[in-house]
Amino acid sequence: METVSEVRTEHAPVSATTERVHAKPFATVVWNFLISVKLAIWVIIVLAVTSILGTVIEQNQPPEKYRQVYEDWAYNLMDRINLFDMYHSWWFLLLLCLFTLNLTCCTIDRLPRVIRTVRKPKLTLDDAMEKSLPLTERWKSKGDIPRRMEDYKAALARVFAAPKVTEADGVVHLYAEKGVSSRFGAYATHAGIVIVFIGAIIGNVFGYKSYVNIPDGKEASHLDARGGKEHIDLPFSVRNNRFWVETYPSGQPKKYASDLSVIESGREVLRKTITVNDPLVYKGVWFYQSSYGQEGGATAQVAVSRQDGTPGGNLSLAPNEPVRIDGYGVVRGVNYEQNFQGKGPALQVVIEKPGQPAADLWILQGQPDLDRRRNDSLVFSFGGLTAKMYTGLQVAKDPGVNVVWLGCLLLTEGMMISFFVSHRRIWIRLAEGPHGKVEVTAAGSANRNRPAFEKTFASVLAEVRKDPSNTEKENPA
Amino acid sequence: MNTLNVQLFDLTTLLFGGATGTYIAAMYGKKETLARIGTWICVAAAIVSTAALVVRWVESYKMGIGRIPVTNLYESLVFFAWSVNLFYLFVEWKYKNRAFGAFVIPIAFLTMLFAFTNESGIQPLVPALQSYWLHAHVITCFVGYAAFAVSAGVAVMYLLKARQEEARTTEGIIARFPSSKVLDDLVYRSIIWGFPFLTAGIITGAAWANYAWGTYWSWDPKETWSLIVWLVYAAFLHARITRGWHGTRAAILSIAGFLATIMCYLGVNLVLSGLHSYGS
Ligand code: HEM
Repeated sequence: METVSEVRTEHAPVSATTERVHAKPFATVVWNFLISVKLAIWVIIVLAVTSILGTVIEQNQPPEKYRQVYEDWAYNLMDRINLFDMYHSWWFLLLLCLFTLNLTCCTIDRLPRVIRTVRKPKLTLDDAMEKSLPLTERWKSKGDIPRRMEDYKAALARVFAAPKVTEADGVVHLYAEKGVSSRFGAYATHAGIVIVFIGAIIGNVFGYKSYVNIPDGKEASHLDARGGKEHIDLPFSVRNNRFWVETYPSGQPKKYASDLSVIESGREVLRKTITVNDPLVYKGVWFYQSSYGQEGGATAQVAVSRQDGTPGGNLSLAPNEPVRIDGYGVVRGVNYEQNFQGKGPALQVVIEKPGQPAADLWILQGQPDLDRRRNDSLVFSFGGLTAKMYTGLQVAKDPGVNVVWLGCLLLTEGMMISFFVSHRRIWIRLAEGPHGKVEVTAAGSANRNRPAFEKTFASVLAEVRKDPSNTEKENPA
Repeated sequence: MNTLNVQLFDLTTLLFGGATGTYIAAMYGKKETLARIGTWICVAAAIVSTAALVVRWVESYKMGIGRIPVTNLYESLVFFAWSVNLFYLFVEWKYKNRAFGAFVIPIAFLTMLFAFTNESGIQPLVPALQSYWLHAHVITCFVGYAAFAVSAGVAVMYLLKARQEEARTTEGIIARFPSSKVLDDLVYRSIIWGFPFLTAGIITGAAWANYAWGTYWSWDPKETWSLIVWLVYAAFLHARITRGWHGTRAAILSIAGFLATIMCYLGVNLVLSGLHSYGS
C-alpha cells in the first residue's frame, strides 16, 4: 500500500551483495544475514523483551534474598543464566555485540552507495526516469533553448536552489536539489549509537566509581572502590571544610552542602561548595554530594567559670567520657534531654571529686547561671550539643562520559534530520520542439513528506513559468 | 479547601469530560456542530490548564519553594494531559477533521481523573530533584508520551476504519473517519514527533543522573523501561521504512509502544515496586 508520507523504501539502495551471490556462497550468506534490517528488527525486539526480565527480577541482591523468594531449582537455573545481573551477563552483551555488528555491517553495505549517489546525482532526465518519477509536468514555450535555460536557471535559483546545467545532444537538463543531508540522518543516528557504546566501554575500562566519607575539617586522598575490593590513591586530596543541611520551614531537607577544598602539593588549588546536583570536578575526578552522617556521637559543649564569674574555659563532653579538671575532679556528661521538664535542652552531668560522693545534676541550656546555686568553686553552664559531621562523597572518574554525550548529540541530530529534512530534487529538460518552440519537461521527487513537496513543486513551477521575461515574450508590448 | 491551581485543574477535568462526551455524541449523532463545540471546549481546557500551570508555579514561589510544576506524580499527570490536548488540537487543526477527538481526548480525561485521585499539594523539592536537567527531562519525556498517546488513539481508529474499508461498507460513525491512508500516515507522523522527544528525554535523564550521582545509566527499572519503549518505536520505524510495514501491523506496534509507555510511566512505580518488595 502506498502512503502519503515517507517513501524511502522505494529509494533504499539495493544491496550490493546481490551481485556476488554466487561468488562466495557461505561468506555471502553470513554477510547478507549481518546486513539485514530484518535481523536488526529481531535483535531490537529481543533486547526490548529480555530487558523486561531485569525490571521484574530485582538485580544484584544478596543470594539469601533470592532464596527466600525462589525454589532451589529455580534459583539455580536463574543464577546459571545470570538473571540476577542480566544486563552484564554474557548473553546480553552478546546481543549488544550482534546489534552493533549488524549496524556496522549495514552501514558498510549502504553508506558508500549513498555517498556515491549524492556526489554524482543523476543530472539528466531521461525517459525512463520521467516515467518513474511521481511528479511530472510538460509544457511548450516560445523562444530558444539558451534563453529559456537562462530564465529557468535564474528562477530555480531564486525560489528553490541553484541548478546544475548539463547539455547533451542539443538537449539541456537542469537539476536542482535541496536537503541532501536527509540521506545521512539515519547514518548519523547509527554512528551516534555506536559512539555511545564506545564511550560506555571507555568509562568501564578506564574509569571507576568510589565512595569516601570525610569528617568536618579533615582531608582524604585514599578511596575505597565499590565493594572495598580496590583502593585508589588520588594524586591530590580533598578537604571537607564544613558540611551542612538546610531545611524548609516544614523541616524537610532543602539542601545538603559541603564546602570542599582540593589540596595539591600542600596548596589549596580549588574551593567549591557542592550540593546534590552540583558536583566538584578536578582533573577528571567528580565528587558528588551523596550522603552525610555524624562522626562519632554528639559532644556537649560546657562553659566553665569561677564563682566570681571569671571564665575558666570550655569542656567538650563526649557521652560518658570522663574529663579531668586538675585540682578539681572528674566531669562526665551522662544524659541529654531535648526538653527537660519543659525547660528546653538540658545535660545531666556527674561530678566526682576525690573523697566526696558524686554530684549528679542537670544543667539547662536556657539558664547559664543555674549551677551557681550549687555554691561550688566552679560553675558549669551548658552551651548545647554539637555533632561532628562527615560528608559522604561519591567519587567517579569516567573518561568516556563526554564521548557518550557526543554520541547522544549526534544521534538526536541525525534523527531530526532524518525525520524532518526531505531530499527534494527537481529536473527540467529543454528540448527542441516543433514550430520553433521549446519543449519543456519538469519532474520532481522527494524522499519524505510528499504532499508538502507536491505543493513546493507546483509553486516552483508556477514561478519558473511566470518568469518576467517569459511573460514579456508571450505578451509583446 | 484546595488552592486556586487545583480548582483550575478540577475545572480542566470537567472540561475534558465535557469534550469527551461531546466528541463521542458528535460521532454517534453525526453532528458537526457538536464536534465543533468539542473543539471549543478543548480550547477552553487548554487555556484553563495553562493558566493552572502558571498559577501553580506562582503559588510555589509564594510558598517560598518556587519550582517548575512538573516534579511529582500529580503534576506530571496534569502536564501529560495538557500536552495531549495541545498535540491533539494541533492535529485537528492540521487535518481539519474532528473525528480524532473521540479517540484522543478520552486519554486526557482519564489522565485527569487519575490525577484527581492523587495528592495535589505543592511539596518542596528534595535536594535530588533540584536540577535544571530534571525540568528538561520531564518536559521532553511528556511531550514524547503525548505524541505516542495521539498515535495510539489514531491507530485504534485505523484498525476500525481498515476493517470497514475491507468489508466495503460505509455505514455508521466509522465512515466519517478520515481515510485509512490518512490515519496510517498520522500514526507514523505522531511517532516521528514523539521519538526525538523521548530520545531527548532519556538523554536529559541520563545527564541529570550523571550530575546527581555520577552514573548516567544504571539499569534501574524506570530507565530500562524507557529504553524498552525507545526500542519498540525504533523497531516500528525500521519495520516501516525498510520492510514496508504499514497499516495494521504498524497500528498494532504503535498501540504496543503506547502500552509500554504507560508501563514505563505508571507501571514501574505502581506494579513493579510491589514485586520489588519481595513480600517484606
Ligand atoms: C535502536 C537502535 C536504532 C535506532 C534508534 C535507529 C534509528 C534510525 C532512524 C531514526 C532511522 C531513520 C528512519 C526514518 O528515516 O524514518 C533509521 C533508518 C535505518 N536504520 Fe536504524 N536505528 C537503529 C538500529 C538499526 C540497526 C541495528 C540497523 C541495522 C541494520 C539499522 C538500519 C537502518 C536502515 C537500513 C535504515 C534506513 C536508512 C535509509 O534508508 O535512509 N538501524 N534508523
